[in-house]
Amino acid sequence: MSVVSEVSLDGTKLTIAIKGRFDFGSHQIFREAYERFYKVPDVYVVDLKETTYMDSSALGMLLLLRDHAGGDDAEVQVINISSDVRKILAISNFDKLFDIN
Amino acid sequence: MVEVHLDPDVLSGLQEVMEGEYPKLLDTFLDDSQKRVEALRKARDDAKALALIAHSFKGSSGNLGAVRLAHLCQRLEVESVEAAADLGALVDQIDHEFALVKPLYESERQRFQL
Amino acid sequence: MSALAPVLEPLTVLIAEDSATDLLLLSTIIRRQGHHVLTASNGVEAVDLFARERPQLVLMDALMPVMDGFEAARRIKQLAGEALVPIIFLTSLRQSEALAECLDAGGDDFLPKPYNPLILAAKINAMDRLRRLQATVLQQRDLIAKHHDYLLHEQRVAKAVFDKVAHSGCINAAPNIRYLQSPYALFNGDLLLAAYTPAGDMHVLLGDFTGHGLPAAVGAMPLAEVFYGMTAKGYGLTQILREMNAKLKRILPVDMFCCAALLCLSTQRRVVEVWNGGMPDGYVHEVATGKRTPLVSRHLPLGVLSAQAFEDRTEVWPMALGDRVFLLSDGVLDTADANEQLFGAERLQQVFAANREPDCLFEDIEQALAAFCGEVRDDVSMVEITLQAGQSMRATGPLYADSGQSCPLDWSVGFEFRAETLKRYNPLPYLLQLLLEIHGLREQSGALYSVMAELYSNALEHGVLGLDSRLKRDAEGFAQYYRERNERLMRLNSGYVRVQVQVAPTVTGGRMSLRIEDSGPGFDVEQVLARPLDVDRLSGRGLSLVRQLSSDVRWSDGGRSVCVEFCWEALA
Repeated sequence: MSVVSEVSLDGTKLTIAIKGRFDFGSHQIFREAYERFYKVPDVYVVDLKETTYMDSSALGMLLLLRDHAGGDDAEVQVINISSDVRKILAISNFDKLFDIN
Repeated sequence: MVEVHLDPDVLSGLQEVMEGEYPKLLDTFLDDSQKRVEALRKARDDAKALALIAHSFKGSSGNLGAVRLAHLCQRLEVESVEAAADLGALVDQIDHEFALVKPLYESERQRFQL
Repeated sequence: MSALAPVLEPLTVLIAEDSATDLLLLSTIIRRQGHHVLTASNGVEAVDLFARERPQLVLMDALMPVMDGFEAARRIKQLAGEALVPIIFLTSLRQSEALAECLDAGGDDFLPKPYNPLILAAKINAMDRLRRLQATVLQQRDLIAKHHDYLLHEQRVAKAVFDKVAHSGCINAAPNIRYLQSPYALFNGDLLLAAYTPAGDMHVLLGDFTGHGLPAAVGAMPLAEVFYGMTAKGYGLTQILREMNAKLKRILPVDMFCCAALLCLSTQRRVVEVWNGGMPDGYVHEVATGKRTPLVSRHLPLGVLSAQAFEDRTEVWPMALGDRVFLLSDGVLDTADANEQLFGAERLQQVFAANREPDCLFEDIEQALAAFCGEVRDDVSMVEITLQAGQSMRATGPLYADSGQSCPLDWSVGFEFRAETLKRYNPLPYLLQLLLEIHGLREQSGALYSVMAELYSNALEHGVLGLDSRLKRDAEGFAQYYRERNERLMRLNSGYVRVQVQVAPTVTGGRMSLRIEDSGPGFDVEQVLARPLDVDRLSGRGLSLVRQLSSDVRWSDGGRSVCVEFCWEALA
């Protein structure tokens, strides 16, 4: 499991890519991925392209990110979702909180 | 075979390590070695006993720099397990070697009159 | 580290050596290095000294009289137990068998003769580091074991406390509930609650908190209290949901929430009302046709949204007696096989399709899970409730707070609930609480609540909202009816429901009359009352039930006003 974060050149977009399992084990490293930027970007993107597994604590981490990004005013996109992850997000209705492509 | 009877470097090393205990170490070695030599003579025909005494004697004489004595003890320890060995001759050699180094240690001991 | 570096902490070193010269030499060197020395000249002395003085390190000659160094090392290692007491063999043994014998006996290192003080000090330091490492490992292991025991103890206590709260419901007493849950489900965050409403309906909650262990269990207690407290007082699902959501949102950290499915099963009305936020699809199983209607998650889990954004919209499905509702946790669907393939909803559907004996459904599912992954996980929760006739109405015991000394007997009160209130407030729990101040009525609280609930929803739905009860003839119309109800209620900006309560003493006891009026168009009372019972139950206005349960029912004002009476005998 690894988390890679990258800021766009203009500094307005932070992309966090999760590789491997996205579960409680990634809690600390996921938080660090967005907390270490002192400048707040406009858009957060969570890239699940190489995510193999996701559980309910991963949903909790997405909520933490959303909260960090401004709560109801946050723009958080979740991209490259596999069909399994799509099911998890659909059951929990997280598409109501996150921009899911 | 060219072999040193007593290595003076070992003695000076020991003197440094032992400091005030050095004369006592020499006394102990002389006393201990005397007993070992007598024990070897008594055990002449008992290979197993010879091996054990030789092993111990080898250690202390090595530590005290009696290089040739330690070497002879080692030979006795090794050869005591060989059936055909002439162990009696080796014991005699050890006896002879100790008789040779004993005065050297005694004169070393003389330097430290208590 | 230099070999001559000062020692951190002096050690007690046992030296076992039969040569007096070597013993003197070695003990002098080690003492000079700052350690305390014990000496033995054979194995037996060494073992005795060790047992008495417990030195931290041993220098052992291999060949000694009486007992050799190998045997002494073995005994010392045995005496030392789990602690590491390093043994350094004093030997220049050349043969590999002899070296192997030293290691076999528990030797940790060798020191050849003649002795070199520098190497000796370095070896003692290295062995001391190993010894400390081992001691630290043991200490930490013991600490972990102790913490583990504490944790288990805490879990037992928490579970015992929680069981008292959780079992205050009817989950184990109700004959129509079957469930499967690990005894420690609480610590997987799984929660199953069930309780009767004052009207005899049954509320069921299956929840799943994020995470594991105590953090997953802490939210369960407040959730259970809200569930039981509000159910007993007669609150409906939407009010209970709002309260649970608000409470969890307030107390849980941002990344914690509770997926939940909440049901209200009504035998009287032959319906199930459902709210599902984040749980896998449950099912209503129509036994006559075999049809399974999925109860789909339409909402975010509890504890995520603010009170303003929270959606309390429920769905209502008709049920016949004998029909079943099935709920499950994601532990069922997420059970994985050796290749990390998930069991999934499709395999569950196959189990449903293959199920011949409805009472064996759980067993069938368990077998399928076991066949799939080898074992059933401990976070698998399932519950199935059958709609059964004749659920008795429960007296709502915990509601009575007074001592029975003050009982008002001659009073009247009137309310008018207008559009904005009708939209979001359920006055029934409040009214019930008020009426139960009359001790004589407490025996009949279930009937009273059922009648009030029927008449109030008639006044609201058919009167104020103008919904036609005949819509509810079939399942589709049923769904449409409740959709319409929600939409019309949302748009409501006029209309009222009035409630009048009159309490008066009689010769034998007392009488309470309850009048409910609405602002709607009224209805043809004669015609509706003439309908057969079964039609009335599903698509009618529940009027036969009302007539059955109250002493007297009268309509007036073209069906816009209805009055029921309840009488009681004076208490002995």
